[in-house]
Amino acid sequence: MELLAQGIVSGILAGGLYALMSIGISLSWGALKIINLAHFAFVLFSAYIVYQLTVSFEIDPLLMVLVVVPLFFLVGVLVQMFFHLAKVDEFKSLIVTFGLFIILQSLMQTIWSADFRRIGPALNTYETESFFIGGIAFQLPQLAAFIVALLIAGGMWLIFTRTYFGKAVRAVAQDPAMARAFGIDSRRVAVILSGLATAFSALAGVFIAIGQSMFPELAVAWFGIVFPIVILGGLGNSLGTLVAGVIIGVAAGISSVLWGPLSAPLVTFLILIVALLFRPEGLITKRSIA
Amino acid sequence: MTSRARTLVGFAVVAVALAFAPNIQEAFEFPRFYLIFLFTMYFWISQASSWNILTGYSGYFSFGQGAFYGVGVYTVGVLVVKQGWSFMAALPVAGLLAGLTGLFLGLVVFRVRRLTGEIFALTTLAIAFVLASLARLSTFIDGGTGIFTTGTPLPEYLGEFTTAAYRLTLAVALITVVVAYLIHDSRLGWGLFAIRDDEPVAEGLGVPTFRYKMVALGANALLAGLMGGVWALQLGFVTVDEVFNIRVPLFVILMSVLGGMQHWMGPVIGAVIITTLTDRLNSAGLADVNQIIIGGMLVVLALAVREGVYVRMRRRWLTTAITFFGVLGLTTVLDLNDSLISDFAYAMVATVVVMLVPDRVWALLRDVFRRSEPVEEQTEAEDLTRTGP
Amino acid sequence: MRPRRSLTYLTLITALALIVAACGDDEGGATTTLGTGTTMAPSTTQAGTDTTAGTDTTAASGEPIRVGSTLALTGVFAPTAAIHKATGEVFVERINASGGLLGRPIEWILLDDESAPDLAAAAYERLITEDEVDLVLGPYGTGNITAAMAVAQRYGYVFPHHTASLTYAYTYECHFSSWSTGLHPNITNPNLLYDSLESTGTPPETIGFVVNEFPGTQFISYGQPDTDEGGAVTEAEKRGWEVVLDVAYPIATSDWGPLAAQVRDADPDFLYIAGLGVDAPNLITAMQAIDYSPDGMFVQWPAPGPLLTTEGADGIMSVTIFEEHPPFTDDPEAVEVAGMIDAALTESGVPYAKVETQAAASWTAWEYLQQAAEGAGSLDQQAMCDYLIENGAQTLFHGDIEFFPDQQNYFEDLSKIKQVQDGEWYTVYPEEFAAPDRSVVFSPGG
Repeated sequence: MELLAQGIVSGILAGGLYALMSIGISLSWGALKIINLAHFAFVLFSAYIVYQLTVSFEIDPLLMVLVVVPLFFLVGVLVQMFFHLAKVDEFKSLIVTFGLFIILQSLMQTIWSADFRRIGPALNTYETESFFIGGIAFQLPQLAAFIVALLIAGGMWLIFTRTYFGKAVRAVAQDPAMARAFGIDSRRVAVILSGLATAFSALAGVFIAIGQSMFPELAVAWFGIVFPIVILGGLGNSLGTLVAGVIIGVAAGISSVLWGPLSAPLVTFLILIVALLFRPEGLITKRSIA
Repeated sequence: MTSRARTLVGFAVVAVALAFAPNIQEAFEFPRFYLIFLFTMYFWISQASSWNILTGYSGYFSFGQGAFYGVGVYTVGVLVVKQGWSFMAALPVAGLLAGLTGLFLGLVVFRVRRLTGEIFALTTLAIAFVLASLARLSTFIDGGTGIFTTGTPLPEYLGEFTTAAYRLTLAVALITVVVAYLIHDSRLGWGLFAIRDDEPVAEGLGVPTFRYKMVALGANALLAGLMGGVWALQLGFVTVDEVFNIRVPLFVILMSVLGGMQHWMGPVIGAVIITTLTDRLNSAGLADVNQIIIGGMLVVLALAVREGVYVRMRRRWLTTAITFFGVLGLTTVLDLNDSLISDFAYAMVATVVVMLVPDRVWALLRDVFRRSEPVEEQTEAEDLTRTGP
Repeated sequence: MRPRRSLTYLTLITALALIVAACGDDEGGATTTLGTGTTMAPSTTQAGTDTTAGTDTTAASGEPIRVGSTLALTGVFAPTAAIHKATGEVFVERINASGGLLGRPIEWILLDDESAPDLAAAAYERLITEDEVDLVLGPYGTGNITAAMAVAQRYGYVFPHHTASLTYAYTYECHFSSWSTGLHPNITNPNLLYDSLESTGTPPETIGFVVNEFPGTQFISYGQPDTDEGGAVTEAEKRGWEVVLDVAYPIATSDWGPLAAQVRDADPDFLYIAGLGVDAPNLITAMQAIDYSPDGMFVQWPAPGPLLTTEGADGIMSVTIFEEHPPFTDDPEAVEVAGMIDAALTESGVPYAKVETQAAASWTAWEYLQQAAEGAGSLDQQAMCDYLIENGAQTLFHGDIEFFPDQQNYFEDLSKIKQVQDGEWYTVYPEEFAAPDRSVVFSPGG
């Protein structure tokens, strides 16, 4: 019983981290109609930067949040400006961002080699820490990621429903021409949103850096986890993304514990297919965007 | 002769010419590698074209090419290596099983009305993962040990390994492209394009949307599986991670979008461009830089050419022909490169660069050369859903 | 006579000869042409007291001998392939500095197979039929090696390779593996480990297995499919140890929590992690997070570096061929070469810059190629193949190796057991190879 409970908890927390990795792409796809594959590279690049700065300056890796978040916000802004200039649409965005992804991945490999990189317990004290509640462990890096994801999801929901900016984003997503007619500067909205999305991805990178070893090909392994979560959660719906992440994480955790880790992908994807058949528009019908 | 007949004759001519490539290679003592280069290209031409039959024509975006390809590969792996079937008997079964997988998927998924767009895409991706998982778990299929396809006996009439692989891939690629062409040029194709434009309207017009989508999906799956079965030979060691990874599903998308998804030639051109470039860059040995160049190239091409390279090549066909054959002639005659493939690559790059010239600038240039009546600015708002060749 | 003076003369002459050798040839850098691959032409030479290329201290000259191979420079196998690239470059530099191969410099044409077997096969076809290389060397990664071997076999090229795990599948008469695990690593490797555990006097009573579903680790754990041979699991049972856990996990596992929980639940005395790369650090970290640590652990084919900085990994064991400490470092040449390789690894950015299994196997594969050519006196593939089978090879890191045709050219298992102690890897078993004052540390319940 404890085993099952631990599997569930582990799954929930892992789902939080997955969701954090997915929110950026979800926002980009839902609000900006751009399938930004480069986000995978952003997450990993952020992780590498956290690694490098932590190791070179011997600072606490969590403090790196102060560095990567603003940095990648800027990156997101620039990337969106580039997309706007180049008039990238949904289909083309796939190729263009894949090109970007390849370039970034190559860059990472050139700078840090293809070999594995870890921060190590000397500088990374969070790796093996956990909170224990009744014998069930809540691993610190994943718990932190989960909480952050929750905050972001909640925050985005508030922004989209309560603030002018949020409404502007939804308007632009629904009908850009109309939005502009009403005086919304769609370009500024898009740019800020892109910056936010990229900043969120960078945040996920921080938790990757304190939770595991990195290597350039790692970003590719995330495709299969993130896309299901993004779509299941509903494009642009941060809260939905979190829920989807948790569902997938828990499904994987439970099946792993009951039937062995090899069964996890099978169960997860079967659940996904069933879910899509019955609720194709995503888990939460009321999307926060459009 | 009708245009269809002409095109089919064209196919036949190309088929015969290419079929003799191994003989030409031996007679002129070209490196055998040219055959491998060609059949790698055939593999991608086939995969991209079969994918485009579903996604390009009907608009149902599929991330699932890997699933059908994988079924094909593993069918051959299991039947031939594990069960002792002959390769030629197993190959059609590979196509068939993959096709059935597609049809089964269609039965389940097309019945749900709202399952379109990105949701459909995700479902196809999920299918690939489910199949991969099944392959891992079932010792009958793989069970994690992998399958050795090296040394598979092939019928004698196919020749030795490289020639055999060449002939098989050529055959499947030809079949695929011909099927893509025939569909494009038929009522089925017109119906699919209508579905892509607006499915409810198409239904209103009397298009049997479910049936047509099933045919497209089935064709996609069958052809992908058929080529997968052949490719099992080239892989040598078949593992779940190698077969079901993101390479095939991703690259067919890239190639088709690059070449143009509205016409059956688009994926062909896209496949040729990408395989040639990656081959030459790889052989230059600059591994890291190679990736950066490809990435950069993808970005540039995707941005510069809206509806795909093929459409532009078609419009500027004279320039295309002159540039391509001109550069090819120059490099071959002047023997500027060690390899014919490099000559071809340069000619191709030159042509693509010419294609990059935006329409407006192109019109301007033509205006300058013509000097006579002002040329109507040709924009990209062509009716690309016409079903002409 | 007057021994002392003649000795002095001898020394002077030798010194002079060495100086001449050191100031020898200085050839150009790498050249790149579209279609011919990056050529690793030798750059500056290095003074060396090496004896590998015989005692020929004249500079290598003439038409280069072209050696073609691929490595997984990108893709999933890239982390380890980086080691092979650095090692190969050192070998080529060194041999060219001391007379080359058969008097000619070696040119290494290295292509990227992107960790994909079909690309590896195509690349070898290119190397052999378009670039027309004189010799080939295997790639990295079981799948790639398999595919490449088929091509080499088709054209009759001698095929030295390193670290191909599915030993039973390689039947090409002219393939030569430099990873001396013998033909049955699924039996010999685990038994070596188990013997080492029993040597402590306090072997485990219960054992747990977590197995990566990669074919190589599956082979080690369960044996060749469709045979009764068995592997690590059955060999443990034969010793009367109770197998309390036997679970397989996908290669791309991202959430290690559930698996860690299962291990804790089974609570084996000893945990056998049939894993690769960073499986072990990930699993151990996850176990630490739920406050669990098995009494003893073994990991099959780890990336060695990360384990040294993983909390809770102290005491973990693995297999090795060579480590940078005595008695391995009793051979000065081994020390010298290891130093060169370490420097190359550091320069290419590899974090754990030490010679161990991968680099050692890589070096040995090159040695096969060299000795085959020198032994046969030519680049004739059949002659080279015959020579190796008849004479074996004298290698720096593996010692003397013989190739037994009736064992698919495999020799015996030369693996040793190493263990992380005090933050470093030390060979601990068999005793004659153990680092000074080091031995297996294990006791259940402690």
